[in-house]
Amino acid sequence: MARWGMVIDLDRCTGCQACVVTCKAENNVPVVTPREAQRGRLMLWMTVIPEVEGEFPRVRARFTPRPCMQCDHPPCVKVCPVQAMTKSPEGTVSHVFARCIGCRFCVQACPYGVTYFNWQAPTWPKDLREALNPDFAIRPTGVVEMCDFCHHRLQHAREEARADGREVRGEGEYVPACVQACPARALIFGDLDDPNTAASNLAHSPRAFRMLEDLGTSPKVYYLKEG
Amino acid sequence: MQTTHPQAFDGDDVLFAPVLRTGRGFYTAAVFLLAVAAWGAYAYTYQLRYGLGVTGLNRPVAWGFYIVNFVFFIGISHAGTLISAILRLCNAEWRRPITRAAETITVLVLFFGLGSIIIDLGRPDRLFYVMQYGRLQSPLLWDVTSITTYLTASTLYLYLPLIPDLALLRDRARGWRRQLYTAISLGWRGTPEQHRRLERGISVMAVLVIPIAVSVHTVVSWVFSMTLQPMWKSTIFGPYFVTGAIFSGMAALIIAMAAVRRAYHLENYLKPVHFNSLALLLLTMSLLWFYFTFAEHLTAYYGGELAEGAVLFAKVTGPYAPEFWAMVVLNLVIPLAIMANRRTRTVAGIVTASASVLVGMWLERYLIVVPTLANPRLPYARGLYSPTWVEWSITAGAFALFILLYMVFTKLFPIISIWEVREGRERGIQEAYERIESYLPTPTPGTQPSGRVPGVGAAVPSH
Amino acid sequence: MRVTRRGFFGWTGAVAAAAAGAQTVRAIGDLQAATYEAELPPRGIEGWVASVCQQCPGGCGILVRTITGVEDGVKRAVKIEGNPYHPISRGSICPKGVAGLQALYDPDRLRGPLKRAGARGQGQWQPVSWDEAIATVVQHLRDLRARGEAHTLLLMAGQVRGLMQNLLLRFLEAYGSPNSLSTASGCEAAQQTLLLTQGIAEPIAYDLENSAYILSFGASLLEAGWSPVRQARAYGHLRQGTPGRRGRLVQVEPRLSVTAAKADEWIPVRPGTDGALALAMAHVIVSEGLYDREFVDAWTFGFEDWRDPAGTTHLGFRSLVLNDYRPEAVSAMTGVPIQTIVRVAREFTATRPAVALAERGAGFYTNGLYNRLAIHALNALVGSIEVPGGTVTQRRPPFTPLTPVTRDAAAVRGLAAPRIDGAGYPALSGLGAAKNPLASSALPSLPEALRTGSPYRANALFLYYANPAYSIPEFTRNPELLDAIPFIVSFSPFPDETSRHADLILPDHTYLERWQDDPIEATWGPAVLGLRQPAIPPRHQTRHTGDVLIQIAQGLGGTVAAAIPWKDFGEVLKESFREVAGAQRGLIMTTPFEEARQRRQADAGFWLPTYKTFDEFWNQVAERGGWWDPAYPFGDRERAFRTPSGKFEFFSQTLRQRLETLARRGPASGGGLEGVLRALDIRARGDRVFLPHHEAPRFVGDEKEFPLHLIMSKPMSLASTRTANHAWLAEIPDVRTSRPWEIAVEINPETAHKLGVKDGDEVWLESPAGRLRLRARLYQGIAPEVVHMPFGSGHGAGGRFAEAWGANPNRLVGGEADRLAGTPALFATRVRITKV
Repeated sequence: MARWGMVIDLDRCTGCQACVVTCKAENNVPVVTPREAQRGRLMLWMTVIPEVEGEFPRVRARFTPRPCMQCDHPPCVKVCPVQAMTKSPEGTVSHVFARCIGCRFCVQACPYGVTYFNWQAPTWPKDLREALNPDFAIRPTGVVEMCDFCHHRLQHAREEARADGREVRGEGEYVPACVQACPARALIFGDLDDPNTAASNLAHSPRAFRMLEDLGTSPKVYYLKEG
Repeated sequence: MQTTHPQAFDGDDVLFAPVLRTGRGFYTAAVFLLAVAAWGAYAYTYQLRYGLGVTGLNRPVAWGFYIVNFVFFIGISHAGTLISAILRLCNAEWRRPITRAAETITVLVLFFGLGSIIIDLGRPDRLFYVMQYGRLQSPLLWDVTSITTYLTASTLYLYLPLIPDLALLRDRARGWRRQLYTAISLGWRGTPEQHRRLERGISVMAVLVIPIAVSVHTVVSWVFSMTLQPMWKSTIFGPYFVTGAIFSGMAALIIAMAAVRRAYHLENYLKPVHFNSLALLLLTMSLLWFYFTFAEHLTAYYGGELAEGAVLFAKVTGPYAPEFWAMVVLNLVIPLAIMANRRTRTVAGIVTASASVLVGMWLERYLIVVPTLANPRLPYARGLYSPTWVEWSITAGAFALFILLYMVFTKLFPIISIWEVREGRERGIQEAYERIESYLPTPTPGTQPSGRVPGVGAAVPSH
Repeated sequence: MRVTRRGFFGWTGAVAAAAAGAQTVRAIGDLQAATYEAELPPRGIEGWVASVCQQCPGGCGILVRTITGVEDGVKRAVKIEGNPYHPISRGSICPKGVAGLQALYDPDRLRGPLKRAGARGQGQWQPVSWDEAIATVVQHLRDLRARGEAHTLLLMAGQVRGLMQNLLLRFLEAYGSPNSLSTASGCEAAQQTLLLTQGIAEPIAYDLENSAYILSFGASLLEAGWSPVRQARAYGHLRQGTPGRRGRLVQVEPRLSVTAAKADEWIPVRPGTDGALALAMAHVIVSEGLYDREFVDAWTFGFEDWRDPAGTTHLGFRSLVLNDYRPEAVSAMTGVPIQTIVRVAREFTATRPAVALAERGAGFYTNGLYNRLAIHALNALVGSIEVPGGTVTQRRPPFTPLTPVTRDAAAVRGLAAPRIDGAGYPALSGLGAAKNPLASSALPSLPEALRTGSPYRANALFLYYANPAYSIPEFTRNPELLDAIPFIVSFSPFPDETSRHADLILPDHTYLERWQDDPIEATWGPAVLGLRQPAIPPRHQTRHTGDVLIQIAQGLGGTVAAAIPWKDFGEVLKESFREVAGAQRGLIMTTPFEEARQRRQADAGFWLPTYKTFDEFWNQVAERGGWWDPAYPFGDRERAFRTPSGKFEFFSQTLRQRLETLARRGPASGGGLEGVLRALDIRARGDRVFLPHHEAPRFVGDEKEFPLHLIMSKPMSLASTRTANHAWLAEIPDVRTSRPWEIAVEINPETAHKLGVKDGDEVWLESPAGRLRLRARLYQGIAPEVVHMPFGSGHGAGGRFAEAWGANPNRLVGGEADRLAGTPALFATRVRITKV
């Protein structure tokens, strides 16, 4: 069984945030008003974290895309009191928002801050509702939501593969929206257990590391450092 | 029932008085509290309508006042059952007029603890999913389990010693009250057999309730310390929280005692000596609390880990410094200054100290919950938290409703355990004498025990 | 009634309790309401439409996912992704591209033709029918023409190319107006660089993927550049595309932009001194003999001192840089350490292929064109012109030119008039002053012309993808200037600032609802022709501006109608594609694998098309998104150098010729060339005028009073002036600060400290031209004497989101321009910051 994972090449990433916007479009992530955004209610399942170091003129800036880390030992799944956070047999962590009671324990438990709470009911101007993706329901108020590697895309890929009587290939057939969008090809996706995928090879590259690795969460998102 | 001091019976009238007569002061206070509570209820329905967005909660500070209140209320609940059970088991004779007031706090405040959690939920309509789909690994489920157990045990523990008093009330009341007391006094007649069974029941509950109480607040602390968040992931959180709980609980108890003493003229029952004893305990807890706080913050500082440091300095010198130092003053400096000094350790002084502790401990809970959330491990999504009118209103409403319920309780049931006070008069003194005597070296034959403790023998009632 | 305290409490309590009770009942009812229920958008049948994005000029191929509702039968566009066949985007997309959905479904779109109801600028409208609207335009234009004032029709177009541009220009020519104005000033200057050095009026493009060393002077490679997706793809390839090789990127710019942040080295430079820095590097390269002798000897003109036929000795580039641009002196001027200048110069020559980029950062000063010349001279020194990894020029699709327009008397008269902006070399004769001798269009001169009515009054204005009241500083501050034009027609689909001053708005479809060709420009070498096709049918009563123009022409009749004889835009489009199909080159966009195969065949001399008939060609183009010709003739020097010398000219004979012609012709410029130079504010004299040199930049505002320089950038999310109304983009305006819905002024912490400004403080940012109130953000990545503001937000119109956030730095920009190039000097304004 495939173990889907992502490799993010920080050397390639240009901080363009195509991943951020395509994720919002793909998953019907609501937009909040400027006031709400300033109050910390912004919802970006995929986000790019900027870091600026040093003093003028010796300054470095770094951009780190941050999807859900899809941990092999996900702290969010353990703490969920109603089993709304689940880890599939393939290792993908996803959230059943129809069951979520909105306690936000997962929000506290996640050291990467990838879970988002629907502080209010999402509102779109009437026209903008037309562009909502029918593959994904709109979350009601009061529940948590987060990146699940575009699980609905895996289901699509699986249906098509099943029609051909086979499994989904480890590379190319199923990619999350962010990976598909990335112009610099900084995001690479595939089966980490299949030694023939680019993702699995890059995850073993000497440049590879994982975010907050020492916490023992074993993310399935690998980063490749610059240089 | 033997009556050795018939004149004392009439003296206990003052204990029945609040139940049987109600003055205008009560109604005024009740209406005021009801108004505050109603306002809180309005705020909650407003929150229900528009979602938690109406609060000041945000990313990363997704838990705020409600969780602080939850921890605080659960902490207060240790006032009663735990203290009363420990005192009972230790045969501390001064406990007799105190236990009921304490146990009542426990039972009532637990509802507010649970309520705070429900208020905090984004989807309270799905509350029962916790039963339906509960996941045992989740500390929140441990919480639900232990708090419900604690609530059941505490209620029983409040109820058992209430039975003889209910019978006393049954005999005095009229109308619907009479029917009520008849029903819930379970046919108590005060036979020795009933007494024997009651005492046995109380003893069993007293033993049971202590581990449950300890577990409750330990589990509350685990909600935090089971995560990987800086300054939450700490092994001492269990005992630290329990200590804090007892500390704040005692402060709440002292204030409650002072209030009923004043309102119902119980100066003869709740004497300075009671306050003094509790004050000494409170002082001890203050020092213990400080010890834990110091240990907790020193390790975070000394290790110098970045994530922990961010939280620590946010508290000590950063945006939360006013709250932090206020907490230190309120929880340590003021109680210590007042209660370590015999001249200031008066009832008024002790109540002042307790009020200070109560505020301080609320701040302590706030400082545990919020700064950690505001400074997560990853350096983005830093945030501050400022509650909106909704949180303030609901919090005020919860406190008001709690006080109101406590007041109503005193109108339905005697807030001082009448039979226990009487029992103290009748049997306690002798028991205490015998117990103390048993501590002493066995007298060599021919020596008069009363001769070794001059004056004591004279007080021993003769049979 | 006596109000007692108790009574008061009692009543208050009772009322509160009652209210709370009522509220509770309602709230419990609401629990069942929609906000608590998850909702599934309408399901339907999936489809994908290949098209071309138009959120910026990049020309990326896109695939639009559509869902045709099972229940309502409505076709909806639900996602935009990159087109894997399109060579520009190769399946990827930028944030603006995705947010195109929010242009299509913009809640504030114009839903049909509108006639102004209130005063200009008030934004009061009344709907009219298309017939009435077109008749109104025809009536106006006919009157104008009858009065012999055809030339007073102005066309202002921003992002326009391909057939739509042909159509507009053709209309203008047949009608009889020379006044086609472009708001895309950046492209203008880039074209002039090549005009002066290589003799071709085309923008420079760069073969970035194959470069090993990119020395960029202020190019916004990784922000909103010419083609963000292609540039980001190229960057990714440069870094990790070839195993074992990692290309180097050096960014010269006063601010740590996204490009600078991703560069291997960031060299902060004083504003306006980029050219001097490039020349100092040239000094090092020349003095150390590191340049490409072979190329310089064979293919450049004016490197060594030279003697003209008259026997006069002229200054060569070698002597110029050796004498004038010693690193010591330049280091003091630019603030770049000598060691850095020397090291980077050496690296630039040691790592091949290396390329130097001159773009917005270097070009937006009063000396912009000379800066660009100096930087492009570096490319000549290392021979990186028309070679892989060097500069290239854009090839075009094989459209044959349309038949020449027949001009009637009115048209001939109109076209004989000078341009209103004084742009253009051939049309200079009638002007009082030499204004913009190199420019094909010079918007900075328009406000003055409108104010003074000289050379003549403008009587009508067409706005097509242009929003000068937002994007041109003078109009931003004084949009009333436009009111000097009695008849304004806007074709904008959105209620933008300039449209507020229009008399008629004839809204176009959005790009996701219309047919259009999209040949890429200024991006790359190979010719790429994308086909834009409607993803969904038009949502509102909007109309393709091409069709509207055809209808107007037909209404005007005569030679104008004859010049535009088509039935509708679709017909023009198909006709043009028919030519491409018949051109016997290139291929339908396809996978890289298939492409490689076809190219191998082409190399072997076979051209095996995948189509036999035009219909097949058309269907394949529509399915795949376009046509392109991957072959690029590197090393074709005849094509690349069309200067008088046939070589790359350090000494620009083109410039010399034009300025000298101007000196002879211009009556009011007075003392010959000297007069022209004075009019153009050029300080150099002698041969230096025609050589790349450092021209001291002029700035608006006194240095003492306004101690800081204001520079701007276009962040990735705000490429054009239209994306500000896309909430998705407003949430992520700038990746460096990551603050939603916020445009702040960036300031060096040291400078801020001196001013007593803390991070997040509200400040006044003030220039001689105006002031803005906004938040200050301390940023270590900016030079102490510089402040920065992103451009693209702060709209006064354009929709609920656009109007809700940001600020427009154009309000502060003074009226300076690079007069030689005719482009506004957007970075030539000094400012000061005061705490609010």
